Amino acid sequence: MVPCSIHDTVRRHAFLLVRHPAFLGAVIGILAALSQSLLISAGGPEAYGFCVACHTRDLVNGVTNILAGSSLALAPISKNAVLPVMSVVGVLIGAYVSARVNREHAVKKGSFRDYLLYFLGGFLVLILAMVFGGCPYRAALRTGYGDIIALLFIVAMALGVVAGTVFMLKRAEREEA
Amino acid sequence: MATGVLPMEIAVYAVPAVTLLLGILIGYLAQRSGFCSIGGFRDYFLFRHTRILSGYLALIVFSFLGYLLFWTLTPAAMEHFFWALTSGPFIPVPGAPAGLGPAAYILLAVIPGFLVGFICVLLGGCPIRQAVMTSEGNIRAAFFLLGMAVASPVFAAFVSGWIVLLMKSLGLGA
Repeated sequence: MVPCSIHDTVRRHAFLLVRHPAFLGAVIGILAALSQSLLISAGGPEAYGFCVACHTRDLVNGVTNILAGSSLALAPISKNAVLPVMSVVGVLIGAYVSARVNREHAVKKGSFRDYLLYFLGGFLVLILAMVFGGCPYRAALRTGYGDIIALLFIVAMALGVVAGTVFMLKRAEREEA
Repeated sequence: MATGVLPMEIAVYAVPAVTLLLGILIGYLAQRSGFCSIGGFRDYFLFRHTRILSGYLALIVFSFLGYLLFWTLTPAAMEHFFWALTSGPFIPVPGAPAGLGPAAYILLAVIPGFLVGFICVLLGGCPIRQAVMTSEGNIRAAFFLLGMAVASPVFAAFVSGWIVLLMKSLGLGA
């Protein structure tokens, strides 16, 4: 029984580790630095290893440029490479595989109003993130790289989350009354 | 010009491959863990739960450690580490519209930061969470991604220029 229980302990800890958000935070942080160390010769900017908003912009604008011959702005690394950064495609594939393997895939539909709100939300969030130069993830990478402006973004974002939460609580109270 | 481990001719082919593999690993782990930057702050504010917030804080700490590690191993690839010391405290890492002054960049960090936090918490998650929910079969989150995709050329063609004009007209140019 003893070797078996050691084996089980290791497996249980590995299982807990993979399911802990802090493990993923550490993985993204280290691999973003590795990615810059490998790829920076293709072009900047720095602290660009992982970003959902910027990499979506690079993917859409880069593919549009290739297909339509346009010249929409994108990061130098995506402009110089044969294809733009593919992180967002990867996230979609990885999460899909995980949801399928772990039987957590379920189609959830919403109303037309939901779709419109989410579309507008996504539209605004991309614009706002690009005005700053990154989504919450690149803000974290930039902070780790030593950018104080990015730290201000994170503080403001935390305040925005608090304001949004208070707004939702107030709205819920009104609907109950 | 910074130089990485891979020479330019190989790096241009490696960019899509490496970022795709990195994305697959991140997507898999994000689906398993429920990783979310916005959700972390929300849960801490509402319930004092620190589980999800620990992910975002770990990202900040480990990105610093990761950059520090690779700065010692490959200094040529990390030209401006530690940014605030090499480039000045109120200059941002490139990515935002170029050619503005420090006051403009502070405004362009604080106002969008607040609004991103506000909008994302109402919609139940930050961009990565929306991507993961899309892969789990959530159609609403798929519309969020569609909105991001449509906004990409709009930002590049119009908004970026408007922001620069607005900031310069306020006297906040470089």
